[in-house]
Amino acid sequence: MQLYAPTSSGPKRKSFRAPPLASLEGMRIGILENGKLNAEEMLREVGALFVERHGCTIRPIYSKSNASAPAPSNTLVKAAQDVDFLITGLGD
Amino acid sequence: MALASPRIHEVPDDLLTAIDYCYEQGWTDGLPVVPPVVGRVDAMLARQSRPSETVIATHPATGLELSLHAAAVNSVMAGCLPEHFPVVVAAFEAMNKPDFNFHGSTASTGGSAPLLIVSGAYADEIGMNSDVNLFGPGNRANATIGRAVRLILRNVFQMIPGISDKSTQGNPGKYSFCIAERARGNPWPMLCETQGYAKGVSSVTAYAGGGFCNVENHGGNTPEQVLGSVADAMANYGCITLGQSVVILAPEHMRIVAGTGWTREDAQNFLFTHAKRSVEGMKNVGKYRDREYDTQHGGEAHALAEQGFVHRGLSPEDILITMGGGDAGGHSCFIPSWSRGRGSILQHSPIGM
Repeated sequence: MQLYAPTSSGPKRKSFRAPPLASLEGMRIGILENGKLNAEEMLREVGALFVERHGCTIRPIYSKSNASAPAPSNTLVKAAQDVDFLITGLGD
Repeated sequence: MALASPRIHEVPDDLLTAIDYCYEQGWTDGLPVVPPVVGRVDAMLARQSRPSETVIATHPATGLELSLHAAAVNSVMAGCLPEHFPVVVAAFEAMNKPDFNFHGSTASTGGSAPLLIVSGAYADEIGMNSDVNLFGPGNRANATIGRAVRLILRNVFQMIPGISDKSTQGNPGKYSFCIAERARGNPWPMLCETQGYAKGVSSVTAYAGGGFCNVENHGGNTPEQVLGSVADAMANYGCITLGQSVVILAPEHMRIVAGTGWTREDAQNFLFTHAKRSVEGMKNVGKYRDREYDTQHGGEAHALAEQGFVHRGLSPEDILITMGGGDAGGHSCFIPSWSRGRGSILQHSPIGM
């Protein structure tokens, strides 16, 4: 008996990790807030720790209007130009 | 993007062994599946005029693609007949629209399930149930079309419980959540008409449903009494968000509402007006957010949005109302949206177009 596999036969999207930063000292931080309850508050606290410990600077906060959808590509393109690393996370 | 040839698994020529093999591969929803033998899949695809490699949906986060072929394989496994397949295809064409956000609504702790509402003559042609035991078991088309959607989410899009599907509790609709809109005795225009499709074209509406809330009212005999109980269910503290709503009125309730001349729009306006909670009450349960209140009462606020209250949805049009179920019984239902409020907006597509 021959069965078809029920999985996708399309190619998987290739993804890769960005190379690690050599140092955090003086880096520009981006914050991507996802609109969930307390997300911005939590991320600001995390960002403040980087400022305090590594002399980082925080750029304007980027926001997503939909927590569960990928960030719009223009948001990510702009962030990539403006910051050295980006932090994001859930707050609820 | 070009798709590779579908992979074939050789298994011993024994049906029970093949069923066990499907379990071993992790291809099931926990129930036995029909082994997707080549001949059955080909028969399913024969209903489609497009090539089998046609991509009908793409996962917005992973890029995984759903071809007609993969949809047919999973539809066979779910127990669909070939005539059910166009509904499965149309369902994913609706869910593939960006505002449905099928990644978020199927991955979230909120545990929603895609509710499918089939509207128009095609539902009768394939023997769907719009009547007694509407959401319950017993009808092959309803059960297997909804199940095919779940199997595709699992097998093609890899929404695996505990891994990529993080539902805290899920809901029973995640096995199958598919109904037909009842045409018999329905005093209001069918959904497919209001959606703007040409006469004779049926549609499927996909909605990220967060569960099922029975609305019992055997004593009310005015539209205000019946819909008042529906509005109360819609505004319960556990469910209220800015999200959309689906309300399926039982025929008994519909006779009371429409029998006095109320239109669908009248009912939508009534429900939006009354499905609300005070700001103070929302604060008392810890669910009040300035941002959401401002969204509802800002510059584009609907005229029926009352200051000092949080309504369910942003406007009366956010409430889909139609009729379904058996003739006897004062049991309607409210189906809340996925908990993320505006995170998923219901979508529809024509069937077989």
